[in-house]
Amino acid sequence: MINPPSDNKPAWCPGCGNFPILKVLDRAIEDAGIDRRRLVLVSGIGQAAKTPHYTRANVFNGLHGRALPAATGIKLANHDLEVVVTSGDGDMYGEGAGHLLHTFRRNIGVKMFVHNNQVYGLTKGQASPTSDPGFVTKIQTHGVILAPVRPLALAIVEDCSLVARSFAGDQEHLEAMMVAALKHTGGTVLLDILQPCISFNRINTLTWYKERVRPVGDEHDSTDRAKALDLALTWGDEIPIGIIYRSDRPSFESRLGVLENGTLVGQFAEAAGGC
Amino acid sequence: MDLTIRVAGEAGQGVQTTGDLLVATMAEMGLHVFATKSYMSRIRGGLNWFDVRIGDRPLFSGRETADLLVALTPQALATLRPYVAQGGAVVFNGECEGTCIGIGLEAVAKEVGGSAVMANAVAAGAVFTLLAYDARPLTDYLRVRFKKKGAETVEKNVACAEEGARRAAARAGALRAPTPTGTPVTVASGTEAVGLAAATAGVKFAASYPMTPATGVFTYLASVADEYGIVVEQAEDEIAAVNMVCGATYVGVPAMTTTSGGGFALMVEGLSLAGMLELPILIMLSQRPGPATGLPTRTAQQDLLFAVHAGHGEFPRAIFAPGTPKQAHRLTRRALETAHKWQSPAILMLDEFLADLVMDTPPFDTALRPIDRHILAEPPANYVRYAVTESGVSPRALPGSIAFVVVDSDEHTEDGHLTEDLEARVRLQDKRSRKAQGMRAEALAPERYGPQDAETLLVCWGSTYGPCREAVDILAAAGASVAMLHFAQVWPLDAAAIRKAMRLDGGAAGPKRVVSVEGNVGGQFAALLRQAVALADCECVCKYDGMPFTGEQIAERLKA
Repeated sequence: MINPPSDNKPAWCPGCGNFPILKVLDRAIEDAGIDRRRLVLVSGIGQAAKTPHYTRANVFNGLHGRALPAATGIKLANHDLEVVVTSGDGDMYGEGAGHLLHTFRRNIGVKMFVHNNQVYGLTKGQASPTSDPGFVTKIQTHGVILAPVRPLALAIVEDCSLVARSFAGDQEHLEAMMVAALKHTGGTVLLDILQPCISFNRINTLTWYKERVRPVGDEHDSTDRAKALDLALTWGDEIPIGIIYRSDRPSFESRLGVLENGTLVGQFAEAAGGC
Repeated sequence: MDLTIRVAGEAGQGVQTTGDLLVATMAEMGLHVFATKSYMSRIRGGLNWFDVRIGDRPLFSGRETADLLVALTPQALATLRPYVAQGGAVVFNGECEGTCIGIGLEAVAKEVGGSAVMANAVAAGAVFTLLAYDARPLTDYLRVRFKKKGAETVEKNVACAEEGARRAAARAGALRAPTPTGTPVTVASGTEAVGLAAATAGVKFAASYPMTPATGVFTYLASVADEYGIVVEQAEDEIAAVNMVCGATYVGVPAMTTTSGGGFALMVEGLSLAGMLELPILIMLSQRPGPATGLPTRTAQQDLLFAVHAGHGEFPRAIFAPGTPKQAHRLTRRALETAHKWQSPAILMLDEFLADLVMDTPPFDTALRPIDRHILAEPPANYVRYAVTESGVSPRALPGSIAFVVVDSDEHTEDGHLTEDLEARVRLQDKRSRKAQGMRAEALAPERYGPQDAETLLVCWGSTYGPCREAVDILAAAGASVAMLHFAQVWPLDAAAIRKAMRLDGGAAGPKRVVSVEGNVGGQFAALLRQAVALADCECVCKYDGMPFTGEQIAERLKA
C-alpha cells in the first residue's frame, strides 16, 4: 500500500491567515487564564475547522455546519467547561446558518471565533456566504448575485450577548477581542475574524482589509442596539472592528433550574455512586 | 371472554378523555385492558376513535369490530356502525331508532353538570349499565380524579355518570361482559414505558424536534425533567437535535433524541458521526407510513432497512424493536447499556401503534438506577481516546478530567487527531468494525410463542408481537400447528442463533412454512432473514394501510 505522508502539522497554505489566528488563540487562552483541561474546542469542517487539532485542548471536530449544536450539547452536559467554536465562514454562516440564528436566540455560553475570509478554501475557491456581490469564481462565473450574510447584524437582532469583530492582520486587537470573549460569562459570543485567503481571494487581501478596518472608538456605546446595528451593517470603505454590541440578557444555562444542582455529568456521576 | 368498546367522534370532542376514563376505571376493577386509538392529523373535526378492549385474560391486540359503539357524531355512526359485531350495541349522541340507544350525551352533561365537557362521564355511565357493571367503581374513580378541582366538580361529574347510567337502564346488561377480578391492575403505553425507562436509566439530556408519533416520549421526558434532573431542549431541527446529543454524550451524559422517519432522515449524517466518534447516542425512531410526510398519525414498519443501513460509511449499531410497553421499558434500558458498552449508536424502533397503545402492565420501578457508562476512572497522563484493542472498544475518558479527549469526524489516529495516514485508516476502521462481533454475540435471541415443533412459523418484529401472538392462539384453537418467533432486537443478527431458534438445522422438526408478518410492502425483516440465514422460502403477510394488524386479520390471511 502506498501511504502518503501524514503528520499533525497545520494543513494550511504558507502565509494563510489561520496561522496568526492560531498563534493569538494560544496566547489568549493563556492570558485569560483558561485551564486547558476544561477547555473544549469545537469545529465543523473546512480549513479553519482544523484549528483545534493544532493546539492543546479537548477537541470535538464534528460535521460540516454542525459545530454549534454539538457545542450546545457539550455546554449543557457540563456547563463548567469552557466551550469555544473555531471554524470558518462557510461552516458557520453557510451550512450552519440555521443553527447560528437559534444559538443567538438561546444565548448559551458558547464562544464563536469565526475565521471569515469571504471565500471557500478547502473546496477550492467558490463563493462563501460573506463574499461581496460581484465576486467572480469558477462557479459564480458572472459574479456573486446573492446579498451577503451580515453575521454581526444577525447576532444583534437576536440579542446575542457579545458581538465583536477583529482582523487577523492586527494581532494585538485580535488578542484583546479573544480575551474579552473568553472572559465573558453572559452567554453567546460571536467574534467575526476577518482573514485573508492568499490562495482563492485575490480581492479581499491583507492590504484590502488593512486599508479598511477601523477600531470603534471609546465613544461607541456597545449597549446601544440601534448604533450597534448601524456599525454591524457598515461594510465598504470602512469596516468597524472591536466590541460592537453587548446585552445583559442572562445566559441560557443560567436559566435552567435543573442545572442549579450542578452539571448534568456531575449529577449523573453522583447518582451512579461517583463513578 | 373479551369485549371491545369504541368511542368515536370529532377531534376535540373528548373521544380520548372518554377512552382514558374507561381504561383507568376498568383497570381499577381488575380487568385486562388493551386500548388503541385511531386519529387524524388535525386539531378539530374529522373522525377519531378510541378502542377499549377488556377481557378476563391478557389481551395483546385490538379487534376490527366493536361490541359497543359510542358514536358522538352522525358521521361516526354512519362510518363505524357496519363494524359493530353481531349482537353488539350502539349508543348515539342524539336521537336514533331501532336497536340504537339515543342519549344526548352533551345535552345531559349540560343539564346535569352545567357543561358539555362532562359528556365523557355521561357516556361512561351508559357504557357501565350496558355491560351490567355497577357504576360504583366509575364514580369512585371520578371522585379521586377530580378531587383537586373541588367538591363541586366531583359531584357534577358523579351526577353525570349516574345520569348516563340511568339513561341506558332500559338496555341494562345488553352485552355480556368479562367479570372483573376486583384486584386493580396498572396500565402503560409504549410512550410512557420508553420515557420512564430513559429517565430511570439516567438519561440527562434529550433534544428533539416534535414529530408524530415520537413527540409523546419527548413530552414525557419534559414532564419528569425536574424530578429526574434532565435538560430537555426543543432543537431548531432534527440535525441540531442529533448533533446536540452527540455533544452531550461526548461529555459523558447519557442522552437521546426522539423522532419519526422524516426526522430520522435528517439525522442520518449525525448517526454516522456517532459511528465515527464512537458515541453512545440513543435515537428513538417511532415509525409512521411514508414515503415523505406519508400518513402522520398512522402506523407502519417501513423504516427497518433504512435504520439498518442509515449513515454513510460502515460502523456498528444496535437496533431494538420492542413489542409491548413492558418490552419497550426493558429494551430502552438495554439500548442505552448496549450503546455505552460498545460506544456505538443504538436505535430504538417503535411505531404509532406501540407508542399509543395502552395495556395492563406490571408497575415499573420509578427509582433512578443509572446505567454503567464504562468510563475510565483514572485516565493515564498519556491517554489517547481511540486505543486499539481486541474487542474494538477503547477505554473512554471524559473531557474535564486529566486527559485531553480529542474526537474527529475525519479519519483519525489513536489520539483522535485527523490523519490521512492510510495505515492508520485501516487500523482504526478495523477497530471500529470489530465491535460488531461483540455486539452480535450479545444480540437478544428471538422469543418463541407456541410449540417448538410447529409446522407453521410466524416471524415478526416490533409492535406486531401482540397481534401475531393472538393469531397463534386463534389458529391453534382451530387445530393448526403454529408458533411465532418475535425479534425484539433486529440488528445485529446472529445467524447461528437464528437458525437454532427457527429450527432450520433440525431436520424433520423444523417448520414447513415460514411467514413473516410485517407492516410494510414487501417484508423488510424477511429480507434481512434471507440474507442472514439463507432462507429459501419465506412468505409475507404484509399490511401498509396505516392501521395496526389485529390477531384475527393475521389468522384470516394465513388460512387463505
